[in-house]
Formats: sequence, C-alpha cells, structure tokens
Amino acid sequence: MRIERRLRQPWWLTVVVPVVSILAAFVLSGLVLVVTGHPPLKSLHRILDAAFIADGALSETVISATPLVFTGLAAAVAFRMNLFNIGGEGQLYAGAITGATVGLLMAGSPSPLVFAGMIAAGAAGGALLAAIPAVLRAFFSTNEIITSLMLNYVVALVLEYLIFDSHSYLRDTSGFEANVFPQGKTLPDEATWSSWTIHGLLLPLGFLLAIAVATLVWVLYSRTRFGFEVQVIGNSARAGRYAGMRTRRKILVVMCLSGAIAGLGGASQMGDFRHQLDPEGLRQANYGYTGIVVAALARYNPFAVVLVALLLGGLTNAGFTLQGADFPAGLVGVMQGLILFCALGGELFVRYRVRFAW
Amino acid sequence: MHALLGENGAGKTTLSNILTGLYRPDEGEIVLFGERVEFQSPRDALDAGIAMVHQHFRLVSPFTVAENVVLGDHRDAGRSFLLRPRAIEARVEELARRYGLAVEPRARIWQLSVGEQQRVEILKALYQNARILILDEPTAVLTPQEAEALFVTIRAMAADGRTVIFISHKLNEVKAVADRVTVLRRGQSVATVSAAEATPRSLAALMVGREVEIGRRQSDRRAVGEPVLEVDELSADRDRGGPAVTAVSLTICGGEIVGVAGVAGNGQRELAETIVGMRLATAGTVRVQGRALRNGDPRDAITSGVAYVPEDRLGTGVAPGLSVASNVVLKSYRGSPVSSGPMLRFRRIRELAEGVIERYDVRTSGPQVPAWQLSGGNLQKVVLAREFSGEPVVLVAASPTRGLDVSGIETVHSYLLDAASRGVGILLISEDLDEILALADRIAVMYEGAVVGERDARLATVEDLGLLMAGGEDGE
Amino acid sequence: MNNSLVVVVLASGVLYGTPLLYAALGEVLAERSGVLNLGVEGMMLMGAVAGFWTVERVHGPTSVVLAASIGAAALAGAVMAAIHAFLVITLRANQIVSGLALTIFAGAAGLSSYLGNDLQLAGKPARHQFQEIFPSSLQDLPVIGPIVFGQSLLVYASWVCVVIVALYLTRTRLGLNLRAVGESPAAADAMGVSVTRYRYAHTLVGGAFAGVGGAAFSLSITPQWVDGLTQGAGWIAITLVIFAFWRPTLCLIGAYFFGAFTALPFALQGHGVTVAPELFQTLPYVATVLALVLVSSRAARLRFGAPAALGLPYVREER
Repeated sequence: MRIERRLRQPWWLTVVVPVVSILAAFVLSGLVLVVTGHPPLKSLHRILDAAFIADGALSETVISATPLVFTGLAAAVAFRMNLFNIGGEGQLYAGAITGATVGLLMAGSPSPLVFAGMIAAGAAGGALLAAIPAVLRAFFSTNEIITSLMLNYVVALVLEYLIFDSHSYLRDTSGFEANVFPQGKTLPDEATWSSWTIHGLLLPLGFLLAIAVATLVWVLYSRTRFGFEVQVIGNSARAGRYAGMRTRRKILVVMCLSGAIAGLGGASQMGDFRHQLDPEGLRQANYGYTGIVVAALARYNPFAVVLVALLLGGLTNAGFTLQGADFPAGLVGVMQGLILFCALGGELFVRYRVRFAW
Repeated sequence: MHALLGENGAGKTTLSNILTGLYRPDEGEIVLFGERVEFQSPRDALDAGIAMVHQHFRLVSPFTVAENVVLGDHRDAGRSFLLRPRAIEARVEELARRYGLAVEPRARIWQLSVGEQQRVEILKALYQNARILILDEPTAVLTPQEAEALFVTIRAMAADGRTVIFISHKLNEVKAVADRVTVLRRGQSVATVSAAEATPRSLAALMVGREVEIGRRQSDRRAVGEPVLEVDELSADRDRGGPAVTAVSLTICGGEIVGVAGVAGNGQRELAETIVGMRLATAGTVRVQGRALRNGDPRDAITSGVAYVPEDRLGTGVAPGLSVASNVVLKSYRGSPVSSGPMLRFRRIRELAEGVIERYDVRTSGPQVPAWQLSGGNLQKVVLAREFSGEPVVLVAASPTRGLDVSGIETVHSYLLDAASRGVGILLISEDLDEILALADRIAVMYEGAVVGERDARLATVEDLGLLMAGGEDGE
Repeated sequence: MNNSLVVVVLASGVLYGTPLLYAALGEVLAERSGVLNLGVEGMMLMGAVAGFWTVERVHGPTSVVLAASIGAAALAGAVMAAIHAFLVITLRANQIVSGLALTIFAGAAGLSSYLGNDLQLAGKPARHQFQEIFPSSLQDLPVIGPIVFGQSLLVYASWVCVVIVALYLTRTRLGLNLRAVGESPAAADAMGVSVTRYRYAHTLVGGAFAGVGGAAFSLSITPQWVDGLTQGAGWIAITLVIFAFWRPTLCLIGAYFFGAFTALPFALQGHGVTVAPELFQTLPYVATVLALVLVSSRAARLRFGAPAALGLPYVREER
C-alpha cells in the first residue's frame, strides 16, 4: 500500500468523506450492539428518534449542543494557530464560577444588565485562566498542552472546594438540607437567561450567542488581517516571525480569545440551564474535551462546529432520554468515539491518495 | 570510485534512496554482485552491503557517537540483547583510527561540528561493513581542506576494496575524485564516461543538456554608493546557547554585493538572522541608512527597507501550507492596498499574485496552489518577487541558490545582479565559493562566528579563502 | 508508630500510586517511541472492566483467576491502544485528537460503561481480589511493615516492571532502537529499524500496562466495579510521565508522591486536622506546571524534555 499526498483536493471529498465516516460509525455501532446481543436497527432508530425526531427532541438537543458549540469554537480558535489549548474544560468551569458570581451579585438589577454582566464575567473568567498557559508558552516556551490540561484539574478541584468544602459565597448555606447535601446557590430570576420558541423549537439565549460567536470567529479568521496572521503563524511560526508578525502577542490574544469563548460556555450553563454551580454535573459532562473533538471533526471551521455540536449533542441528549434498564448506558459515548475514529481515519483520504500497488 | 553527477532535481538522491531500500522502485531491477536483489527496507540494503551517507545526516542527536554507530545493528556484536557500551566504544575507536576519522566515541552528536558528524556517518557505514558506500553531496558542508581530507579517506576505502558512489553537482570535484562518472538528467542516465577523459565543459554539457558558461567571473565593478548597511560589533547566541556570532563588523554600500564565505555552521546563518531581527543580538548594532534597528524586531527591519531571503525557504521564507497568493503578500498584508483597516482585500491579493506569477514566470497552476507544491526554483522566485516588491535598500540573501537547478541558479543570480545595479546593497551568504567569487565585490570569511578576513573579490583565490575558512591565520 | 501520619500516608500513597505507576510506565514506553496517547483513562477503564469481568466469570483457585484477570485487563488495554496506533501510525491522524477520542470511546460514558452495565457488574464486591501477601509478623514491623510488607502482589510486580522497563530502555539494544525511533525516526529508519513496528509494539504494550493499572482499581483499591472508577487517574498518569522526564524510576517516585497527596487529607482528618482535600490535591498539578516551566529552557529540554519526535507521524517519502 502506498500513501501519497494529494496535490489537489477535489471539493466533493470534503463532503463525501465526513458523510461516509458517519455512516461507517453507525454501522460499527450496530456491530457493537449485535455482539453484545441487542437489536441494532431498533436501538439505533431509538437513538435517532430521541435525538432529532421526537416531539421536543430537537430542543433538548440544542440544549446539549450549546456548550459544545462554545468549547468547540474555543478549541478551533486555538488549534488553527497550532496552539493546543486543551484547557477548554477548566476555562468553562472558570466562566461558570465568574458568571454565577456576577449573577448572584447583580441580583435586583434589570435582567438585560445582569445577562450582559454574566456574559462579560464568563468571558473574562475563561480568558484569565487561559492567560496562564498563554504567558508560559509565550515567554518560557512551556508546552501549552500540559499546562492547560493541568489547570483543568486545578479549577475542577477549586470548583468542588467552593461548593463542597467551604462556606463560599457561591454555596447554598440556607436551610438544614443544604448543609447535608451541599449545592450551589440558586441564581435569582433576573439571572435566568431568556429563550425564544420558534415553531416549537426552543432557542436559548446561549445558543444564539454561540451562533453569533461562530459568525464572528468566521469573519475574524477568514476575512481580516488578524486571521491572516493566525493562519501564517499556525502554518509556520518562523514564517510569521520572518514576516514581522508579533508572534508572542498573537499567542496571548488567541489563547485568551479561546479561553473567553469557553468561559462563555460556562456562563451560559449558569444562565441558560443549570442556574446554580453544580461541580459534579459540569465535570461529568466533559464539555471541554468533547469540544476538542467537535472542533477536529469540524476541521476547525466555525460553522461546521455548530453542525457537529448538534450531532454529538443529539447523541448525548438521546443517551439521557433513553437511559434505563433496557438501554445500555455508555452506548452514546461509544457512538461518539466511533464517529470520531471514522472521521479521523477518513481524513487520510482527504489529504492523501491511497494506492494499492506492489 | 564512481561519481553520480547531475543537477539538483535530476534524480540522484531518489536513485540512491532506491538503492538503499528507502524507496521502492516502480519498475526495473537492481543487480548486486551479479545477483538480482529486491530491497523491502533499508535493513535489506544494509545486509546486502549498501550504506549511504545522507546529505541531511540521519543521526540521533542526544545519543553518543558509539550509540549512533551501533543503532539498528543486528550482526555479531549486535546480536547480543544487552548493550555493551565499553566494547562498542572500543570497536568504534579502532575503526576510526584505521580510517583516520577522528571522533570521540563518547561524545554526543549535538556537541559535534558538522564535519565530525559526517565522520560519524561514514563510521556507521564502515561499522556495518558496507561494501558499497553512497555519499550524497558530502563536500557541501566542508572547507576545501576538509574536503581534501575526506577524499583521502574515500581513497583509503576504495583501496580496501570497497566501492564508493559519490553524488555531486560540482564538476571539478567529480573529476578530481572519481574513476568513472555517470551523468543524470531529469531522472535519466544520459552517459557514463571515464573521469580522466572528461572535461568540466563536456560534463556540464551532459548535465544540463546544452552548452553553459562556467567559471564566469565578475569583471566590471559597479558604481558603489553610500553605506546602506552598517553592522557594528554584532554578537548573538546560537539556539542551544553559546556564542554563534562574535563581534562581527561589516559595511555594505548601495549597489555593492558583499559575499560572506565560510563552512556551514560558522555563524553565517545566525549573522543573517540577527541582522534582520529574527535573532536577538547580545551586543552590537545594525544600522540601515544610518538609523539603528531595534534589536530582535523583524518588523522594524522590514519597514526600514531590509529584505531577507532566508536559507530555509520552505518554512521561513514561505508558509508551506498557505497559497502562493498569501505568500506573495506575506509582508505587505498590513497596509494598503492589500488590506483596508482590519479587513483583507482578496481581489487585490489575487491580482498581485497573478502579476508576480506572470512577471517572474512562476510555474504553477494558479495563485491558490499551496506553496509546498512549487519546485525550489519557483518558490525562490516567489520569495525574491515579494522581497523586491518592498523596494528594499538592503537585501540579505542566505544560500539563495541552494538546491536549485542550473537555470534556477542563473535566474537568481541575474535577479541579484539586477538589484545591485539598481543600488540595493546585498549581503550574500553562501557556502559555494564559486558563487561568491562570481557575484561579490568584496568577500568576508567567517570562522567560528567571527569575520577572520576580508578580500577584494578580484584579488581573492580559492586557496587563500579556503585557508581562512579553515581558521587559518590571515596572511595579509 | 505504624499509625503515625507519615507511615499511614506513605503506605496508602503506595496503594493509590500503583495504578498510576502501571499506566505511567506504559505511557513512557509509548511516548518514547514517539506516540502520544491521551487515551490512558479510557484504556484503564477498559482494563478495570475486563479484569473485574474475568474475576466474576472465571472459576478456579484465586491465584489462577487473578492471573487470568490481569491478562484480560492487559489485553483490553492493548486492544484499545491498537485503535489509537492504527489511526496515528498507519493513518497519520492527529495524536492529540485520536487520544481524546479514545478516552471518549472507551471511557466513563463509553464502552467501559456500556460493557460494565450490560454485563451487570455494578454493585458486586469482587469475588477475588489482590491482598497483602506477607504474614502479619512482617506487616507489623515498625515503619517498613505497612509501607513495604503491607502491600499486594500488584505493588511488588510493579517494582519489577519499573526495573525491567528501566533496564530495557537504557541497557538493551531494543531499548536503544526504541529511543532512536522516538528521537529521530529518520535516522532509525535509515539504519533499518522499523519505525512502524516499534511504534505499534510499544503503543500496544503501553496500552496493556494501562489496562493492568485499571484492574488495580477494580481488583485492589475499590475493589468492585463502578462506572468511571478511575476518576481521572489516566490523566494523572500522563502528567506523571512529564513530571518524571520520561524516566521509569522517576515514575515510581512520582506515582507515590501523587498517591500520597490523594491520601494525605483523609489521613489528616483521622488525626483531627481538617484541611480542604480539594485544595491539597491541586498541589501535584501546580507542581507539574512549575516543573515544566523550570525545564523549558532549550538546554534543559535536550536532557529532560520529551522525545523529539513525540506526536509527529513519520512519513518516509514526504518532502
């Protein structure tokens, strides 16, 4: 077998390969089901139904997808410049912490003001956390993969500390039960983000914000000088320096932008969906790590990020809906993983031509 | 001793990669010592007795010399499961002594000079008991004197009954070393001649496929203007620490070409990088038209009119994954007409790129083609076009013709001479003495980071320059 | 004396550090060949399921069952690693993304959870588990009793593994070739060392080690099967490899250091001192970041840094 780099990538490959990859992943998932003694077609049908077709399923899917759009965009923004920020997870927590704090502090203010405050705080929280690996990378050339990964744990532990092991401002300390089962303070009504229903489809503010961010990222990265610089530096940092680009500054800006977007995802979790700081729920969701996968599947294209997030979010949502004795938990993760594997493998056929010759 | 002569891109390296099992042939066969062989991997070729010293050394830099030599070995001493460092070191030392290849077996590769690393590569081949040794452009990194020493080693190996295949594009060298010469052109073997009967002129004609002028020499001096680039006591460190450039002073006037000669790795690359701001100077200043440049700021150098053709074309000179069009505007994207405010103007970029492609005759199917697909010569045209479009006052060119074929080299040379006649001051760094002698007005020689001598190009001789390159005393 | 804080913490540091040690040793082997596998968490969880399932289903004397379960765990880890290996070595996929995908596929909400729930493993204590093997007279020795003799076979086996891996890397020909593949695949290739084979082999063995590490949870520490029972140990193991500068012996020290930090706050509570365990547990991560910054200089990186080709696919014919 010989693998050669393609000189030209036919445009249809970029459409056909992902579609075939997803189909292949469904076939493989069916295989897993058969092997473990479950009816494959029926199970897959139930998943698709619960994800996209059933009454209200799409609204639930949008809810599951919203944080993934944010973390996916966060990863895409950084990965485009070859900055492997895998700290989206921690940056989302940070945004949730700052967003919730501001939401609580601004109780009594008019709602739009509170929303704006939470959005700004969430972005700032994520950006601040991302600034740590950014500074270390820019000034000490410390590998950002590891530092951003480490900070995920640090923030996750801080998050747990705030709710489970301290009497912090964010913890609900009223009432007897709150001391036995620690939980976050519930945000006031003014801090509950609006949502709109169109033809039965629920669109939360966070999702619209995510779409707006995606658009903004697209314009920034494909139409502006800033985007050009990111492209050059991402392709070859030396070429960037050679062309007189301020590579250090760009590292700082891009990392913070990435962190801010992930932080917005955290604020949206507070404002849109959870309304209280919920360490276990946030940690189990793995939004940050899944976001990297979303970005990779979308080949770092912001609009594709939205689509992929809806697909993976749909599966997650189906998993929640169907969870029960007759439906094996974990199947959703298996499917998500398989989609990824197939897409990663399919990537080869886009970039290379495979010839079978001896 | 057999020489494989051909231009860059003629297929010399590809052919030898097939002989050493790295690539598989599409068709045809290899007959070795009368037997038809088929190599599935480099291992097979090594076992059959073919070893190669690659142009870009294949050494593991954190390993010691001895470890590199025994790497992958699976015969006699190599059959033992455990490593026996002492025994290996002793064998390597013995081998080195026998062939006059002075290296310390316990030294780590990254501590060695390029010449020493080449000796390690040759030791590797000898250790593998290679009966056929392929050397790919071995003298490119050596001083004339070091090259002579290498030839002595090669002759010793030939006297030992080994076959040496010597790949080169330098005519004199081939004639001096080889018994027979096979000339490759565009992937085809065009002739095999006896070296004794061939002349440089006949070899050149075979190599290029037409008559070429060789040994052309700059005769008329151009009018030289005011100093445009003044380098004063400039020092800089190398990547892994330690000085690379020590107190270098140079002045280049408008319309003048100053050549910097030296063996690779004596600080030339670092000097160029420091002048253009890509490397931080530890001391000294760079002035362009009298104004001092900000240390370590490439943008300041660019706006002051310093153009730079870097040694590493693909990766520094262009961003390989980006389109030709993007690379054309790599330095001009910041202002009008390429961008307005924060937004890029794609139509303008396209027009500019199409203009460059047409004017400089860049062979590509369009401005959207990614740069890595261009051949070396066409890539260099893109780089030069971009650098000249900035109306520079100074051009720093580091090995601008490395890896180009004859017509590519001619093009680059004519562009450089053109620019000089327009009044641009040019600093030409090259390891190819012939090139420097052909183009430069003045020649500075670098050795271990310092300029050890300066000569008027009309009066300089190869022997004299070679001595300086080897660190010899300045006889003047 | 054996109830003193230091002894208790060290003894449980060894206990909690053992799965980290196995996983980190495996990752060292994979990374030394140039393959970064971020799927350790997934591989560990698969090992935990496979090991526990074997103990549930295979009948026989304890020693045989446990040996079989370790084999099954190693196999499960290796199979997961094989997916990653195929994607990144043969298909040249991005190693970071593929590793994360492996964690999602096999991890706490993926295949390990699917299998564990589908085979109804949850909520049962292990029928056999690894227990202390030395007589209580030795275990009661002051200080070294609990720390050295109070451990299970898994711990002692891990010490043997450390020695073997360390010697393998530095003293054998295969180890030399392996390091060359990770540092300069082109050089290794030219000398006839098969980059592909070395990378596959060590990624798979790395996965097997991670699988055993996972089984250490389900058969020794917990000892039962719970969804996602490793709780991020796989990520800590990846950290540990960096912390240990890719050296097996330092992995041992690092694993116990990390393990002790997990155990310390609880031990302190037993002594009436309350500290927030969460804040305490951030220290190893902060320490890792600091250690990384300290070795970020170019000179230090040559000696202590990652293998030069880590994360990069090797392609012979690409220009």
